[in-house]
Amino acid sequence: MNTQLKELNAITRRDFLKASGLSAGGLIIGVSLPMGVLGAADSADFEPSAFIHIAKNGDTTLFCGRCEMGQGISTALPAAVADELEADWTRVTVLQGDADKKYGPQDTGGSQSINKMLEPMRKAGAAGREMLVAAAAKAWSLPVADCYAKSHVVYNRKDGRKLPFGDLVELAGELPVPGEPVLKTRDQFRYIGQPLQRHDQDEMVVGKRIFGADKKVPGVKYAAIKHIPVLGGSVKPLDKSKAMAIAGVVDVVVIPRFENPYGTVGGVAVVADNTWTAQKALDALGVEFEAGENGSFNTTEYKQQLLRNVEAPAKVEFEKGSLDQAFKDAAKRHSATFETGFLSHSPIEPMAGLVWVQDDSCEIWASTQDPQGIQRTIGAYLERKPEDITVHVMAAGGAFGRKFKCDYIVEAAACSKAVGAPVQLTWSREEDTRTGYYHPCSAHRVEASLDADGNLTGWLHRAAFPTISSTFNPASVQPSADDLNAVSKHLYGVENMRVESGMARAHTRIGWLRSVYHIFYGFVINVFTDELAHEAGVDMAQFLRKMYDNNKDPEQQEQIKRSRGVLDKVVEMSGYGKNMPAGHGIGLAVHHSFASYAAMAAHVEVKGNDIKVHRVDCAIDCGLVLNPDIATAQMEGAVTMGLGFVLHPGISFANGAVVNSNYHDYPIPSVGEAPTKINVGFVGQQYRSTGIGEPGVPTTAPAVVNAIFAATGKRLRSMPIKLA
Amino acid sequence: MSYSITINGQAHQTDVDGDMPLLWFLRDTLELTGTKYGCGMGLCGACTVHLDGDAVQSCLVSVGEANGKKVTTIEGLSKDGSHPLQIAWLDNNVSQCGYCQPGQIMVAADLLKQNPEPSAEDIDTAMEGNLCRCGTYLRVRKAIADAAEQMKGGAK
Repeated sequence: MNTQLKELNAITRRDFLKASGLSAGGLIIGVSLPMGVLGAADSADFEPSAFIHIAKNGDTTLFCGRCEMGQGISTALPAAVADELEADWTRVTVLQGDADKKYGPQDTGGSQSINKMLEPMRKAGAAGREMLVAAAAKAWSLPVADCYAKSHVVYNRKDGRKLPFGDLVELAGELPVPGEPVLKTRDQFRYIGQPLQRHDQDEMVVGKRIFGADKKVPGVKYAAIKHIPVLGGSVKPLDKSKAMAIAGVVDVVVIPRFENPYGTVGGVAVVADNTWTAQKALDALGVEFEAGENGSFNTTEYKQQLLRNVEAPAKVEFEKGSLDQAFKDAAKRHSATFETGFLSHSPIEPMAGLVWVQDDSCEIWASTQDPQGIQRTIGAYLERKPEDITVHVMAAGGAFGRKFKCDYIVEAAACSKAVGAPVQLTWSREEDTRTGYYHPCSAHRVEASLDADGNLTGWLHRAAFPTISSTFNPASVQPSADDLNAVSKHLYGVENMRVESGMARAHTRIGWLRSVYHIFYGFVINVFTDELAHEAGVDMAQFLRKMYDNNKDPEQQEQIKRSRGVLDKVVEMSGYGKNMPAGHGIGLAVHHSFASYAAMAAHVEVKGNDIKVHRVDCAIDCGLVLNPDIATAQMEGAVTMGLGFVLHPGISFANGAVVNSNYHDYPIPSVGEAPTKINVGFVGQQYRSTGIGEPGVPTTAPAVVNAIFAATGKRLRSMPIKLA
Repeated sequence: MSYSITINGQAHQTDVDGDMPLLWFLRDTLELTGTKYGCGMGLCGACTVHLDGDAVQSCLVSVGEANGKKVTTIEGLSKDGSHPLQIAWLDNNVSQCGYCQPGQIMVAADLLKQNPEPSAEDIDTAMEGNLCRCGTYLRVRKAIADAAEQMKGGAK
């Protein structure tokens, strides 16, 4: 980091809590978002937004409507606004916006914040700059062309006079908001592309960052909950007296299932003076449950069933060319069966939030990825209008897709309503592990044909997994054509292809976890590709290049070029193909997801059943990188999380309920498992910016598994891996 | 029964149940929320505080056991966020979500007190019990090494 930037970062370290209230009379610049970024249902209600507030003293507040859960979005987007605004970053305070449609869509997932919101946010900044410049021009009676903004000041080109932003606030506020402000060109960027320090770092290291679990209000009560462990089960009749006898217990609240997809599976909560008393009283209750219709669900049999369902022909969802002919003409055919397991998000901050339901209001402080979703869900639960539900978006202590759903907020609302007080509900780790929206297990049967020159000529892919759609629609009992897109639209240019969907009825709630179905598609496709390369007698990089060259689909040329870009970069970074010592190997994986491109090379050492991942090189093309330090951190995180997915046991079910309970039997990676080095290289910066939160995850597991093959000659086809 | 615990230099008298884990006394009773709940079983390290100078997981220590002792939480590690580890954490932009970081820092502070020049292996061993789901481990290692270097220079 250069010295200037280091100083800037040092000055910018400011405490969120120091941010004073917005002074009256400041300039709030409202800028409409283009309709394209809004969901159809929201567009009619949309009003001009308010991302920027400049006070008369020049202090500038930028609002972030997207939820912060560690990915750094509340720095990256406001920094882009500040850049366009020509605001001095040291004068900027960032505030998290409450749930409000004026911020546009706030559902923070799918690596969409930058993809969807960068341009509207830049426009908001540019519009602000143009208004301030126009205000100065008016004050000086000069043409606008004779004025320009730089670092919180507007200058007069003619005579060098200047006016600070604060002095222009009143005048600028009277001007119309320009509809099509002129955005900066790349050479004019001040903050975009720079490793600015995150605005929220300093409060974290002193324990002052307030997460959803940390929020207090006067008179707050605390709740603990036990959920119905089997989906569709029920609570057996309950004797509340054992809990009520404990000093400090306020009430026992039985919460029925609320069959909204974001609702609750139901359970029993205890509200008390503190969390510990609530937990203790909950244990004393000895709650018992009826299992219901999913009571015989267990992962061992279920996975076997899915494997059977992909062995026989299944429902054809995509077909091109003639696969039968390709297979008949093949010089070589190769097939394999893969299976992957259920996974849980398991953020260190469990599901938690504070809700205060009153007769005429409902106020919520939540770790969340979807504040407007909370408004809708709690609105439905309390039979009130969504806009009557106030949601303060708190820092999320990790989320990874889980805090998109707000079942825990529904439960806190049920408790608050029952006791007539604000209630902070914190799930125990056990409840967090056992009451998820799980990443689904899956089974895949893949078969491919090669011609005499080692070209890929045919690909059959049969997949079965319980779908996310099943959580919204019980009639969804197998993957849809869309769910299979990662295969049918992949970039290998195979002319003969058939993609089939196998039955997989869900018996638990299925949800999206960081990179979603790409977790298993990235794994299966990359491991199978490494196998095919081996069959063709070349290494995987050579095999991939050949397939990219063979793909003449005009619609895929940019995607191929960018995939090739990350592949070439990661080969260069890692030295893939070089000789490695015995027991060591480098494995490769390339995957395109969420509009970005990732390639990884993992250097793995295998000793007996002990696997050590020494180093991972990552090349990522997410277009122009807004903040290389934050983007690098996201890749480091993606690698670490991916290692857990492939090396640690997954979630398993018995008698309909999750067997795992806490970090001892659902372990997540620890510091000792983290590679010594994770190198991150960016390519494709000439393209428009896209997301970085998820695209790094899918390549980790296959790179490791392919490295294990390189090290040992052993083919592994399950995730998590089974070495023995 | 009444308990007396000194927390961040301030004496506290309390008559809460002596079995209450120190974690919940800090978080719910005193509203010192820098100490985090993550697992309740001593598996994640997010609740680490110093008890008479040693790092302990406050979910495993009861108020009764802390009676008469001195507790330091992340809020009391330094007056103004100037502990070399806190500075090193900022210089390395360690935090992603930040939730586990108070616990990481409290364990690291104990490590550097006992072992001012830890090897890479020493750091991994000391930090093994502190989980981070965001995956900030490479930066945690680097920040501890940087702070150790800084403290070596400063402690003459």
